[in-house]
Amino acid sequence: MAEFTLDCLGEACPVPLMKTEKKMSELSVGDVLVVSIDHSCAMKNVPEWARKQGHNVEIEEVDDGEWEIVIEKAK
Amino acid sequence: MEKKTLQYDVVIIGGGAAGLTAGIYCGRAKLKTLIIEKTLVGGLATYTNEIENYPGFPEGATGLGLMDLFHKQAKKFGVDFKLTDVRSVSLEGNVKKVETFRNIFEAKAVIIASGGKPRLTGAKNEELYLYDKGISFCATCDAAANTGKTVMVIGSGDAAIEEGMFLTKFADKVIVSVMHENGKMDCNEIAKSQALDNPKMEFMWNTVVDSFEGEERLGTVVLKNVKTEEKIPVTVDSCFLFIGYLPNTEIFEGMLDMNRGGYLITNERMESNIPGVYAVGDVRDKFLKQVATAVGDGAVAGYGAEKYLSECEIFEQQILNEGKPSLVYIYNAVDANSRELLSIFKEFEQNHCDIRVSCIDIYKSDGLAKRLGVSNGPCAVWIKDCKIQKKIDSEITKEQIERICI
Repeated sequence: MAEFTLDCLGEACPVPLMKTEKKMSELSVGDVLVVSIDHSCAMKNVPEWARKQGHNVEIEEVDDGEWEIVIEKAK
Repeated sequence: MEKKTLQYDVVIIGGGAAGLTAGIYCGRAKLKTLIIEKTLVGGLATYTNEIENYPGFPEGATGLGLMDLFHKQAKKFGVDFKLTDVRSVSLEGNVKKVETFRNIFEAKAVIIASGGKPRLTGAKNEELYLYDKGISFCATCDAAANTGKTVMVIGSGDAAIEEGMFLTKFADKVIVSVMHENGKMDCNEIAKSQALDNPKMEFMWNTVVDSFEGEERLGTVVLKNVKTEEKIPVTVDSCFLFIGYLPNTEIFEGMLDMNRGGYLITNERMESNIPGVYAVGDVRDKFLKQVATAVGDGAVAGYGAEKYLSECEIFEQQILNEGKPSLVYIYNAVDANSRELLSIFKEFEQNHCDIRVSCIDIYKSDGLAKRLGVSNGPCAVWIKDCKIQKKIDSEITKEQIERICI
């Protein structure tokens, strides 16, 4: 149940999604990945992709226009 | 992990134009309000590059910019936001429950503004290439990544053509697959003539997608001519689908009334078939789906929820009177006859200080009357032990009232 972070600040689509996908494949079930983003389009495809994979997703708005996507690997 | 339970007056599912407007109305009415959004606050409008028909912005606005203003306004009125998806709901009764991955939110009223999701083509191998693998639903998101490339757009509605034109700013070539005959498109006339004149746009008429092919990523879209059945492989780098939306209503199945397409059915007050549950915006069965109409829906539901909650409070505290005796007179203020009877009830109140007397004007709002099963005034209702004991709806006299109130 380890927690990992991924800094995607300043990166535009589709880079955050590609990085997230790569990182998630290295995690074990139950691990949590926190992805920091500030590009609004990544707010659409990253959570959508993660839910499609069956993972648990929750987002925190850290600051105006800055978010942390929390993904718990479910399978 | 134990789920944490939190209490709200109103929970709004979905943070698009309709949900945000409902939030603004509820927040301003000092209700404790939560909006749950599963991705980006602003909803479908944020996928649109230009919004030119929303009043108040003569220069036009970007979808993202406009929704950001809605978001700020809701925050100003103290609305809470939770960015996650709703797993399940229970809507019956006075305490409604909305469950997410980590929380259970209890609310007195629920406003459903869950919108829709992009429709897929249903063609072979589609699921293998979704999102970052080549099939996209958001030109604003993925246009820059297609600089200098060849992309395909499926559809000919406003979204397809406008987003297709936006893509020509980045891509070298935008191939549009249209299921209709040569020259026939579903979009507005202005967009149509602009698109036909755009040298970077190429149209393939009478075609639908047969399959998606490629190694890791999408490389070829195989189209099928609907007239000749001929299969046409087209080499592309990405494919954008703009063939309409499906409502997000799976979790409400069997609870709320829906039409055949799965859209929620409401009355003009946005009320669903369950008291205290409202549906607004694109998820609702309606004639026109626009930011402007979503805002109207949201305002109606926000106002309705506020009225519903205040009626709940009056009903429990005053009408049911904690089980103690209560006499209710339902009248219509515009009806002279029912107005005249008011004095009988005033007099009754003075003579019986142990009985609570309430006079309710049905003209202003019929919510309380409905809860008592009364559709028309004048009507007197005698309540004891939180139950209706007797009703009189004709020949209301002092003697009759004295007789039933025992």
